[in-house]
Amino acid sequence: MIASEPGTPLRSTPPTPRLTPPASVTLAQLALLFARIGLTSFGGGLSAWLYREVVDARGWLDEDEFLGALTMSQILPGSNVVNLSIYIGHKLRGGLGSLTAVLALLLPPMIVAVLLGIVFAHLSDIQWLHNFLEGLAASAIGLTASVGLRGARHSLIDGYWPLVLIVVVFVAIGVLHWPLVPVVIALAGCSLLLARRRL
Amino acid sequence: MRDNLYLRLIAVFAPLSLMSIGGGQSVVADIHTQSVEIQHWVTQAQFVDLFALSRAAPGPGALLTTLIGWHVAGWLGALIASIALFGPSSVLAYIATRAWHRHRDKPWYQIVQRALAPLATGLILSSAFTVLRAASGTLSLWLIAAISAVLFYRLPKLNPLPILLVAGIVQVVAQIWL
Repeated sequence: MIASEPGTPLRSTPPTPRLTPPASVTLAQLALLFARIGLTSFGGGLSAWLYREVVDARGWLDEDEFLGALTMSQILPGSNVVNLSIYIGHKLRGGLGSLTAVLALLLPPMIVAVLLGIVFAHLSDIQWLHNFLEGLAASAIGLTASVGLRGARHSLIDGYWPLVLIVVVFVAIGVLHWPLVPVVIALAGCSLLLARRRL
Repeated sequence: MRDNLYLRLIAVFAPLSLMSIGGGQSVVADIHTQSVEIQHWVTQAQFVDLFALSRAAPGPGALLTTLIGWHVAGWLGALIASIALFGPSSVLAYIATRAWHRHRDKPWYQIVQRALAPLATGLILSSAFTVLRAASGTLSLWLIAAISAVLFYRLPKLNPLPILLVAGIVQVVAQIWL
């Protein structure tokens, strides 16, 4: 149905303009960015950090593409952020880009984690350090939530149904802890039908 | 016997790689069963310490595997365990990415992408909520998370790191005073 309406604009608002054409991203830039994200993303929630750097700050991916890739990353086995890095690396620099992104993301934190393990024995009894890490993690959760809120706001340009889907996913997965894969596959079916209808 | 140990690390973590659907956190329970109860690589108390460490260190939470590999067999153990956990799923993700990329000019590509976006958004909010509820859940932590969420939502270009550090300090102070 969609293919027969080539003149129909895909959305009512113009797409976000790209800040940097992705073609101009070098492997070194890619490595530096992912190493920085890997090393500074305390408290987890790396997808949120990636979102800020890749969508907000650099415009290498637009919001829809990022969220589509993120959903795919979550359905596939493996760490979400590693899968997402493979996608982003591939989009910007092909197979070598994927490899660069993943290695830059993982190797530095791996080394730091082991070094922390070595000194940890001396620090494990310090209560304030534990509290500090807890507060830091809570703020990182806020960062993750802010990306979710941004996605919810963005989805409103398609009407209210995406918001309904967001709430259903949140209740099913976040509150009721239903198994992720069947829920996502069932809802992806509904969402596809709705997305086709909208256009 | 050392070689044997490396092979066992691979035998344990490589299958988990392909089972970790929904992200690294979904196999933490299996990693626990394998490394504490079946392989006896670490004690229960050591496991909890390594888990806390993997959350405190920068980077993905899946570094738990790196730390267990290190605990069992040093730096090389850390490397082998990590490759075993991240390798197989990454190869699969790469194949999926290429297949997905090949269709980017098809008309349905945009539709699928926009159909998936609300699901991703719901999953992001779910994981934030789940992790926060699993954390000890003092009122101050919920407040820190909520205030941070509003700040980051309002100010997309803000560097998150200083905010996170302030949040850590706030929690230390809150625990002293309350």
